Amino acid sequence: MAGKASGGDALFRSLVAAKPKLVTGVPDGMLAETIMLCEASPDFPYIACAREEECIGVACGAAMAGERAVVMVQNAGLLNSLGAFATMGLRYGLPFVVIVTNRGALADPNGYDIEKREAFDAGVRPMARVFDFDASDLPDDLIPAAFKWAEAARKPVIIALEKRLGAEAAA
Amino acid sequence: MSDLSNLPSQKDAIAAALALYPARPFAVSDIGSQTGWLKAASHDARNLYVSGPMGLATSVALGLAAVRPNEQVLAIAGDGALAMNLTSLATIAGAKPKNLSILLVDNRVYEFTASVPTPTRELDWLAVGRAFFGVEQCMRLSDLTPERWASVARPAMIVADIAAAPAKPPALGMTPAQIRLDFLKAAKC
Repeated sequence: MAGKASGGDALFRSLVAAKPKLVTGVPDGMLAETIMLCEASPDFPYIACAREEECIGVACGAAMAGERAVVMVQNAGLLNSLGAFATMGLRYGLPFVVIVTNRGALADPNGYDIEKREAFDAGVRPMARVFDFDASDLPDDLIPAAFKWAEAARKPVIIALEKRLGAEAAA
Repeated sequence: MSDLSNLPSQKDAIAAALALYPARPFAVSDIGSQTGWLKAASHDARNLYVSGPMGLATSVALGLAAVRPNEQVLAIAGDGALAMNLTSLATIAGAKPKNLSILLVDNRVYEFTASVPTPTRELDWLAVGRAFFGVEQCMRLSDLTPERWASVARPAMIVADIAAAPAKPPALGMTPAQIRLDFLKAAKC
């Protein structure tokens, strides 16, 4: 019997199913497996950015041309990028998908992550639609559905992944 | 640094850089000064006027270049803007897009902010560009001809020392929706 796919592999397969024209990101431990799979993928380029705000710009460039783009960053990285997210993504109504690892959950209590999560709740949720998922149990159609939502809403959408109590370790 | 008394305007420098190409490239301009002067120099549906944070044009241009690999893309950044997104040069150097170039227009001031001097006013931008892209991939606008530019491998960077303008450029006069729809049509052709 085949084993259950890891969270990183499941996320990658869902990404591929959405047929993005590019994927861009800055690593987080929970995203490492997916990023390595993306870098090896022949289906789309993976653009490794030095800083998270650049990722938002890269995705906006693709979306301005009418193409699908995915951003993968940690919650602290998105917090660093809110100016770009607001003044490009929201202002121009660009339907790209941002996958955020929302560190600092109850099952993920690193001391250095706690304030990131609180800032994410205080700063990101009031300005953008966030859909939350257990990183170890992702639906196959997650990223295709995220694009459908973003394209219908004409704005970027955030998929927040977190570790949950009782769930298999995602990373 | 060139002789400050004999520098081109930003508008003329942008026009000269665009004229290096045999066919109109996509041009992605940073917010404020670059966007205003790009429109004044050469308004075109292939212009993408960025209203995001200062400096993001190079990143937006990288995303555009990745999804339009058969088209030339020129990012237009001021010295103040590029200093705010200097890491994008490292990202672009790593991504190695074969169709992306950067025009750095250096007037040594934040033109849209009362011409306050930039912290990079004594920086050697030619050396910065060459550190990221290589000696042959970064040169001064005044040293380029269309023939020479055609032979330069991308990613590449053009450094243009320009005169500080006595006034801001004309207002863009376009809404984000207009910019997006106009550009989308051009990018889909």
